[in-house]
Amino acid sequence: MPNDNTNIIEMSNVGIRYDQGPEILSDIKLALPRGSFHFLTGQSGAGKTSLLSLMYLAQKPSRGQISVFNHNVSFADRDRLASLRRRIGVVFQDFRLIEHLSAYDNVALPLRVSGMDEREIRNRVTELLTWVELDAHMHDKTSTLSGGEKQRVAIARAVINRPDLLLADEPTGNVDNIIAGKLMKLFVELNKLGTTVVIATHSDKIINDFAYPRLHLQNRGLHIYYPSDTSTLGGIHV
Amino acid sequence: MSRAPLIARKQELPLKNENTSLFLQVIISIAVFIFALTLSGVLSVNSVVNNWNKSILGSLTVQIIPVNDSNKEKARAETLAYEEKAVDFLKSVNGITKVTPLSDNQLNDLLRPWLGDGINIGELPAPRIIDVRIDPDAEIDFIQLAQDLANASPQASLDSHKLWLNKLIAFADGLNLIATTILVLISAITSGAIFYTTQMSLGLHHNIIEILHIIGAKDTYIAQQYAKRMAFLGFIGGVIGLLFAIPAIFFIGNLALSVEGGIISEAGMNISDWITVMALPLFSMLISMLTAYYTVKKTLKKMP
Repeated sequence: MPNDNTNIIEMSNVGIRYDQGPEILSDIKLALPRGSFHFLTGQSGAGKTSLLSLMYLAQKPSRGQISVFNHNVSFADRDRLASLRRRIGVVFQDFRLIEHLSAYDNVALPLRVSGMDEREIRNRVTELLTWVELDAHMHDKTSTLSGGEKQRVAIARAVINRPDLLLADEPTGNVDNIIAGKLMKLFVELNKLGTTVVIATHSDKIINDFAYPRLHLQNRGLHIYYPSDTSTLGGIHV
Repeated sequence: MSRAPLIARKQELPLKNENTSLFLQVIISIAVFIFALTLSGVLSVNSVVNNWNKSILGSLTVQIIPVNDSNKEKARAETLAYEEKAVDFLKSVNGITKVTPLSDNQLNDLLRPWLGDGINIGELPAPRIIDVRIDPDAEIDFIQLAQDLANASPQASLDSHKLWLNKLIAFADGLNLIATTILVLISAITSGAIFYTTQMSLGLHHNIIEILHIIGAKDTYIAQQYAKRMAFLGFIGGVIGLLFAIPAIFFIGNLALSVEGGIISEAGMNISDWITVMALPLFSMLISMLTAYYTVKKTLKKMP
C-alpha cells in the first residue's frame, strides 16, 4: 500500500487517440494526491470519459506514462491490472449494470470477484442497499428499476469494497436533489476515510456547494482550478 | 433491516440461455456415440488378441509328418514310432510340463469341419499332432529345441504359433490405428465446435465481460464460468450419446456372436472395457471444460 504522501495517479505527457484519428487529449500532466477530492469538468466531447477510462485502466494511453498506485500501467500484466482495478470504484454515466442480475447481485459483484465469503458479502451489501434506500428492491432485476434507482445501484457497486480511488461520471445526473445531496455526502464521507475521489459533472450547483479543486478539460489539455481561484486560467498541476 | 437470503447466486454471464447450448449438446452426443462404438470395437479386438496371446503363451504344437510308404499299415506304424520318440524326447526337456499326443478321435474331430463325417485318420496320410504345455516362466531356446527334436525324431517339426499370432497382432494394430484416427478427428471436431461457440458467446457478452474486467475480475474468473457451463453441457451430451451407444454396442455384439467359428464371435468386452466406455461422459466433460477454459483465456488476452 502506498503511504499518505504518494500520488494515487500520475500522468506525464499522456496523449490518447483512437485509431489514426487526431489526439483527443494531448500532453496531459497530472498528479492526484492520495485522499484528494476533485471535480472533472469540460464541455461534452472534451475528453472527460476518455480521461476517466485511462484512470480506471480500461485503456492504455497512445503515448506518455501513467502510474496508478505506484505501478506503471504500461508494464503491468493482465493479472496485475485486474488487482489494481479492484482498488478502484467506478460509477458510469450509463450505469453499466448487469441487467439480468438483481440489485443485490450487481452490488455484490466486486466482493465476489475478490473472493469474499458470501456471509460477509450479504451483510455488507444489505447494509449499503438499505442506506441508499433500495432495500425494497434488493431482489429486483436492475432492468426493472428506474433511472435513479439504477444510479444508486451503480454507486453502491462502486463503493461497496471501500475503494482507494473512486471515479464517478455524472453520478447525480438521474436523481432528485435530496438523493443527490445524500450521494454527495456519501462521497465526502468516503473521502474523509481516505478514498481519493474524482467526479465528472456538469452541475454548477454541486461544484459550488463543495469547495473542491476542479480539473478542467479544454482544447485537449487539462487545467486545474482551486475553489479560491476565480480566474479563467489555473496552473497545470504537476 | 431485511437481509438477503443465502441462496445460490446467479452467474454474471447468462450462458444458460444461449441458443448454442442445444447445438453443442447434440454435437457432443453424436461425438460420444461414435466414440463409444469405435472404442468398444477396438477394446473387443484387443481383448481377443490378448486372450489368444495368453492361451498360446504356454503351449507348443509338434507335428509328426506321416511316413510316405505304399504299405499304409507300415507307414502308420513308423509314423507312430516317430511320435513316440518325439514324446519321449519332449518329456525329458526341462520346462515342459505336459506332453499330450492327440488320439485318433481328437484328430478326426479336428479334420471333420473340412472332410466331413465318416473319416478314419488311420487311412489318411495326415500328420500326428502332439500338444505340449510349457512353464510360462521357463526360458526355453526354441531354435535349439527344434533342432534337438529333429535329431530325436526326424519326422517331427515344432510350431510355436508366433508367426500366425504376429499376423493377427498386425491386423489388430491396423484397426487400432484407424480407430485412433477416428477418435482424434471426433475430439478435434468437438473441440472446434466448442472453440467457435465459446468465441461467439464472448462476442455476445462483450459488455458484461467489460464490466467484469473494470471491477477487477481476472480472466480466470470469466474462464471458470465458461468452463463450468461447458463441463455441464459436455457431461449431459456425453450421457445422452452413451445412452444411445449402449444398445447399439449390444446389438452389434449379438450380430458378432451369430457369426460362428470366426474371430468375431470371440470378440467381447470385459468389465474394465465397459468401465472405460462408461467413463466417456467424464471424458467429454473434461475436453469441453478445458477447451472452453483455454479458448476464453486466449481470446481475452487480446482484449485491452
